[in-house]
Amino acid sequence: MTIDSYRFLNFASRQVMKAWAARQEAGVIPFAPLRKPLSECTVALLSTAGIACHGDQPFDQEGERRNPWWGDPSYRTIPLGSTEKDVRLYHLHIDPRFAEADLDVVLPMRRLQELADEGLVGRPAPTHYSTMGYILDPEELVSKTAPAIAERMRSEGVDAAALVPI
Amino acid sequence: MTLSWIPDLTRAVGVPRLAGIGYPPSRCLGRPHDADGQRAVLRGTLELLESAPGPDTYVELPFVWPETPAQALAVSKDVPLPPITQLC
Repeated sequence: MTIDSYRFLNFASRQVMKAWAARQEAGVIPFAPLRKPLSECTVALLSTAGIACHGDQPFDQEGERRNPWWGDPSYRTIPLGSTEKDVRLYHLHIDPRFAEADLDVVLPMRRLQELADEGLVGRPAPTHYSTMGYILDPEELVSKTAPAIAERMRSEGVDAAALVPI
Repeated sequence: MTLSWIPDLTRAVGVPRLAGIGYPPSRCLGRPHDADGQRAVLRGTLELLESAPGPDTYVELPFVWPETPAQALAVSKDVPLPPITQLC
C-alpha cells in the first residue's frame, strides 16, 4: 500500500484511526463474482455521509450528543435524480459543505448516470442509500440495516453496489 | 466494491474489492463541481467489478489531491469538533 491513509488527518484523529485499524479482524471475506458484463449491470451507490432527503427523518444527532459513544445505525433511501438541493447531511464527524455544494463528492449519482450513458455500466438503480458512518458498535448495522438495504437492492434488480465511506 | 480515502482501515475490516484514493475526507470522489475528476474516480472504482480475481482485491487509484494536507485541513477548521472529543 503506497497511499498514506492518515495523511489528511490531524494528529489525534490519526492515532485513533490507526488504533482502530489495528483492532480489526477481517475473518472470511465474502466475494460474489460478477454474473454478467459490467455493461449490463444495474448499480446502486451507498454513502456513509449521513444523507437524508428533505421530509425524511434526519439521522439522530441529538442521540449522539447525549451519548457520544453512540451513532445512529439506520439508513435512508435517496431516489436517483436527487441533488444537493433535495437533501441534507447529518454527520457530526465530517465537513458537510462539500457535499451540500455538490452531492456527487459523496454520492455520485450524476457521474454514475454518465457512465451508464457511455456504456461502462448498464444503468443506475432507481434507489441509492446512505448511512451515517460514525458507528462504534456495528451490531444493529450488521444485523438489521445491511440486510434491509440488501433486500431493497435485490427487489430492484441491483447487480452490484458501490460503497463510499466518508 | 468500496472506494476509500482511508484504505488501511477499510482493508483491515475485510472487503471483497477495494479502491484506495489519496483524497481528504468528506469529498472522496473529488472536488465539488469537478465532474471529469469525479467520473474518473468512479470509473476506476467500478472497473474493479470485472478485474478483481477474488476477495481482498486492492488497487490504488492514480489521482493526486491538488492541496497539501495543511491546506485541506484548513478549509474545515471552523467545523465543530464531534461530541466524542469532549470526553477525551
